[in-house]
Amino acid sequence: MPTVAMKKGLGLNITGEPGPNVETVTGFDRIGVVPERIPFVKPKLHVAEGETVRRGSLLFTDKRNPDIRFVSPAGGTVKAIDFGPRRVIRAIVIDVDKEEACESVDPLSEKKISAIQKSDLAALLMKAGLWPFLRALPFRDMADPSGDPPAIIVNLEALDPFHPGPLVYLEGAADFFKLGMSALFRLAPRVMVAASPETSTRLTILAPLISHTVTGPYPADDPGVLLYYTRTSQADNRSWYIHGADVVLLGEFLKTGCFPVHRVVAVSTPTVRYYCRTRIGAPLARLAPGLDKADTIQIMAGGLWRGQRVSAGSFLGMYETAVTALPDGKTSQFLGFLRPGTDKPTRSRAFLSRLRKGPLPMDAGMHGEERACVNCGTCATVCPVDILPQFTVKAVLAGEVEESLAHGLLDCVECGLCAYVCPSKIELTEHLKTARQAYYMETTAP
Amino acid sequence: MKAIRALFDSQRRHFEKGGRFARLAPLFDATETFFFLPGIPTVQAPYVRDSIDLKRFMSMVILALMPPLFFGIYNTGYQASMAAGLSLSLFDVTLRGLRIVLPLIVVSYGVGFFWELLFASIRKHPISEGFLVTGLLFPLTLPPSIPLWQAAVGISFGVVIGKEIFGGTGRNIFNPALTGRAFLFFAYPARMSGDAVWVADLAAGSGVDAVTGATPLAVAALAQAGESIAETLANTGLPWLTMFLGNYPGSIGGTSALCCLAGAILLIVTGIASWRIILGGVAGLLATGWLLTLFAGPGAHPWFGLNPLYHLIMGGFAFGIVYMATDPVSGPGMENARWVYGFLIGMLTVLIRVFNPAYPEGIMLAILFMNLFAPLLDHVAVSFRLKKRVPNV
Repeated sequence: MPTVAMKKGLGLNITGEPGPNVETVTGFDRIGVVPERIPFVKPKLHVAEGETVRRGSLLFTDKRNPDIRFVSPAGGTVKAIDFGPRRVIRAIVIDVDKEEACESVDPLSEKKISAIQKSDLAALLMKAGLWPFLRALPFRDMADPSGDPPAIIVNLEALDPFHPGPLVYLEGAADFFKLGMSALFRLAPRVMVAASPETSTRLTILAPLISHTVTGPYPADDPGVLLYYTRTSQADNRSWYIHGADVVLLGEFLKTGCFPVHRVVAVSTPTVRYYCRTRIGAPLARLAPGLDKADTIQIMAGGLWRGQRVSAGSFLGMYETAVTALPDGKTSQFLGFLRPGTDKPTRSRAFLSRLRKGPLPMDAGMHGEERACVNCGTCATVCPVDILPQFTVKAVLAGEVEESLAHGLLDCVECGLCAYVCPSKIELTEHLKTARQAYYMETTAP
Repeated sequence: MKAIRALFDSQRRHFEKGGRFARLAPLFDATETFFFLPGIPTVQAPYVRDSIDLKRFMSMVILALMPPLFFGIYNTGYQASMAAGLSLSLFDVTLRGLRIVLPLIVVSYGVGFFWELLFASIRKHPISEGFLVTGLLFPLTLPPSIPLWQAAVGISFGVVIGKEIFGGTGRNIFNPALTGRAFLFFAYPARMSGDAVWVADLAAGSGVDAVTGATPLAVAALAQAGESIAETLANTGLPWLTMFLGNYPGSIGGTSALCCLAGAILLIVTGIASWRIILGGVAGLLATGWLLTLFAGPGAHPWFGLNPLYHLIMGGFAFGIVYMATDPVSGPGMENARWVYGFLIGMLTVLIRVFNPAYPEGIMLAILFMNLFAPLLDHVAVSFRLKKRVPNV
């Protein structure tokens, strides 16, 4: 089995790791869908307030491709559709019925899947609302159903703190995962499955499916990193990817014929830390009690590096398996820059905390003010795909599109490490992300 | 602490938009953030940030400058006391050194800060911490006898022409402190070179004949063909160890290679300075020095035969390579370019010393020259790097 040893990257050694136990949190009377947090989508609503929906009923489609459907993760009545500024759909809230009805299709066995045509399978997944779980590199938009990807990359690991790892979310779900994998083999000529050496040895039942061993800190779990290390030609850059936890959903759908909603979520807030078995669209305040009462914290859904900031009244989005809350970092510190810094998490060696081994408390503060770039080059020492952020960002800001592409702008995995380590507190990741999206919009515009 | 907090909170309104001193907002900001590390929450991913910021970065450099600063104060006082035939007790010598060095530092910080604040107020950007380093580096490179007004002119040139006209910290192509020193060197050569300037109050002294005030580089230049520079130095009371420790006349902070070594270790251990530049510089100096010894002979200039280890500790090389060449802004940003950059600085230092006796202090010009080439080195290094990528367009 080929091993991909990621050389750079960065693991955060911070407090807040959820405990090993997995608890079950169910019995919600409200479930929410949050289109706002689905990247790139332009939703066109197909329901109105007061309508009855079943689990798997169409809620909205993507205006850019009306065949891509987003379905309801619960059965009940649409209670409210919450619009934000410029009519962005913040949330579709559903009052859950006691007996949830479900749109169902005939289950597919592994045998049937091996005989199915690619186009039929794609049509089935699109109709059932599972297609959006498949996404395409390099822009990380939903996969184009008419496209022919050179490969599909499945990464089992989840290293963005704090996510449930494969040993947690694959517990009792190995059969679903295998079934989901058999569907992926129908969609692309090649499926790459990457896992850490520990996962490969502990999940012996899935070991035959794993094609690559990846080692290294965050973001070794990223499909873009695996691609960067394994690609042989330019065509490989258009590979698709799907996360291991979403392959489980895919398998559950094929087995049951019903839109799958089960999720294992890592919850880490200043008051509670645990893994929970729950469902897509669960209210965050139920998963993390006390979240709505604290006003000096920042809540992130989907991880500290790449998640999105959410309010306590929001819901668990379709891609998210982590809810993390940190102190908001608004407290100023007297003569802070002169302190030895025995408790300050850092990758640099300028604080005494580097001599400590244990995890350190982290907050969501900038820890400094923005300054001009001093060309220290720290960002380039962490970039997992060997971009030179200090030069690439300058090319981006100068409007040099060709040059920034030559620098590997499209290889950027948006991991956030460059902005994390920058002593000048420059929003490097945001600059790169914006440039990538602008390029995507420009190249796909009609 | 609460009282200071309250003071800032009560005075802030004067410096905000529409306030009486709105133009001086950068001054208020700089003072407030000096006392209180600001608590700014992240607004976009990643939602966590490293604890290091430019304030910490620069304070580590200041910390690393402490050994040469303290030793410089002592040595300045020692040389001056010796020339004047005064008491050589530690207390007297330090006090005398402080009386000479402290005014220079105050002038350098004061005048430099004025320019810094002026530009920050007009351009409406915060005051950069980089100045705290420039303002301390600059006086340490000066001869102790320099008049205060010349120090003021020098730091003004360094800050304004060396940095601000390019857009401020991060955009300057030359090291501002060295630019200021180079300006003084060429504008007022009488006070920046020769044998008379390296000991403070020499003229006012009691005229002890033994004290010449000549630096090792000047002594070395006196060696006649066929003589050995090392012997000439040793005969003048400058054996290797003395030069390594730094107890001889010279620029305020630049005499002690030992103190610079201590600073270098701190900067490398904390990861603030590029060890590639420092090691590259040492390697370039030793390699070139050794190469020249191959041409040494009875007819050749004595400089050729000098043991390269002497180059390491003579003049300001140690100070320059540790504190000036490692300035990230005016140096290259690519790691392999940093090796080349350091190596060429070391090489040029020796070449200037050996082939151009008119400028005994080679390191200053070597660094400024390589500052000019840093972007080119980066450009080449980046081009090599990009050729290796599988294109993704």
